[in-house]
Amino acid sequence: MNNLGFSEEQRDCLQEIINVAMGLASDKLARFLNTFVHLQVPSIALVGAMHIPEEFENRYQDAEAALVSQGFFGNEGVRGEAIVLYQMENAHKISALLGYEAGDVSEIEMLTDISSILTTTFLNGLADQIENSLSYSAPRILSSRHGNVADVLKNTSFHWEHALKVDISYQLIDHSFNCDMILLIPGEAVSNIKNILDRILEAY
Amino acid sequence: MFQEMVCNPVLAALNSGVIVIDDEYNIRYLNAFIERHGNLQLSEVAGKSLFNVFADLPEAWLKRKLMSVLDLNSPAFSSWEQRQYIFKLPHLRPITSSSQYMAQNCTMLPLATAQHEQPLICILIEDATDAFVYQQHLSRTLIELEKANRQDGLTKVQNRRYWEEQLKQEIHRAQRYQHSLSLILFDLDKFKDLNDKYGHLGGDFVLVELASFIGSLLRDSDLLGRYGGEEFGIILPDTGLEGAAEVAERICRAVADYSMLFNQQTIRATLSMGVAEFEPKQHFLHDDLIRCADMALYNAKRTGRNRVCCYQAGETDYHKKAN
Repeated sequence: MNNLGFSEEQRDCLQEIINVAMGLASDKLARFLNTFVHLQVPSIALVGAMHIPEEFENRYQDAEAALVSQGFFGNEGVRGEAIVLYQMENAHKISALLGYEAGDVSEIEMLTDISSILTTTFLNGLADQIENSLSYSAPRILSSRHGNVADVLKNTSFHWEHALKVDISYQLIDHSFNCDMILLIPGEAVSNIKNILDRILEAY
Repeated sequence: MFQEMVCNPVLAALNSGVIVIDDEYNIRYLNAFIERHGNLQLSEVAGKSLFNVFADLPEAWLKRKLMSVLDLNSPAFSSWEQRQYIFKLPHLRPITSSSQYMAQNCTMLPLATAQHEQPLICILIEDATDAFVYQQHLSRTLIELEKANRQDGLTKVQNRRYWEEQLKQEIHRAQRYQHSLSLILFDLDKFKDLNDKYGHLGGDFVLVELASFIGSLLRDSDLLGRYGGEEFGIILPDTGLEGAAEVAERICRAVADYSMLFNQQTIRATLSMGVAEFEPKQHFLHDDLIRCADMALYNAKRTGRNRVCCYQAGETDYHKKAN
């Protein structure tokens, strides 16, 4: 897999930062949901954004899937778009945990809420570690139910050069929940991130 | 400080609402936008509960959102597309908009405060009434477009494409639920003569008049469509051959008795009608049902017009050339 010119140290450092961010996010989620959240070490991969549609085509082909996008931007040229992909079945599980009752809110609101919570808790944890802070745009649904996931991803990832794929699996006491998160980042942001990683590596 | 000197006027001039509350939902700040639209003064409402000052708020829902902002230290959002407004405020397009209240995009942000200070939440309210109005126009246009896409331009009954789609669906339904289903195809007798005598405008007038008249004779569930030229079809769900034949007879007689006035001339027309019933066997497609009704229609033509003929299973004796 193409590592977009990240050195092995930089990649390890990024994985570590993501592990910690995910840990912080699951800790917050656990307290918010009042349940134990077990988290698997997320696997990450850096790829060219144009390869993203084919990566997810198979996994989200048949089932009802939802895609929610949220833009983020911070200091030092860190910016991009986070996309959360999940099966609707999974979305219903977590919506029950969040305390939504059927008919309480629209499905779209439920989807944007879940995605926003997952995205912002995770990215805030990431930003904390690199001494940055992020602002977010409102989440918007790219597709839900019968949209063609690959086509929607093609239209979105087209605007970006690179993508950081993060496979997220949460295990809650009675439920398991997994989704994929894609962080789409522009070319210049990659070199900004490399600089940040180098600074962290130097500090050790 | 320069920053403070500038910030207050900017907040006051901002064309968005800013409300700051603490973790007990008490109002700590609101800007001029909210003061003016909400017709209230910061000095009067400071320290009061948000839910008392804005009595119409969806309290349980909003509290859950605000709770997530505090617990997760991350923003929450609400879009006018899901919830048209949270705060009941008037907007600046009272005449051109059909909505009474300002459509809003709201963002709820955790505000960074010092360790021992009370946590604060900033609620940003953006006026999305323009987007709401455009969306409404768009929805209306889409509904009209969809209607136009289904309608025959001249007679306003279903056009052939949509009508055939309906027929396919009804056949599917009849097959699945073992319901009966019948089809009537009918044709105006000697339409060419009508056109020759009264001109094409007269011919068109007859088509429009009869389509509307026949439509008024049908049940809500019957589906009338223009199959082409002077040929029309009626789909009759939950109706067997006998019932459909009765409907056809009734229409045939009523049309024969119906006189239309065009340019001070009375026009009369008659119909030839073919009736067929759906056979619940496999591989019986909508084409087959149309073919059966068509055979019956041509039998009606062949045997003298202004009459109804029913398709009998196994029938093949018909003459395409009759008209």
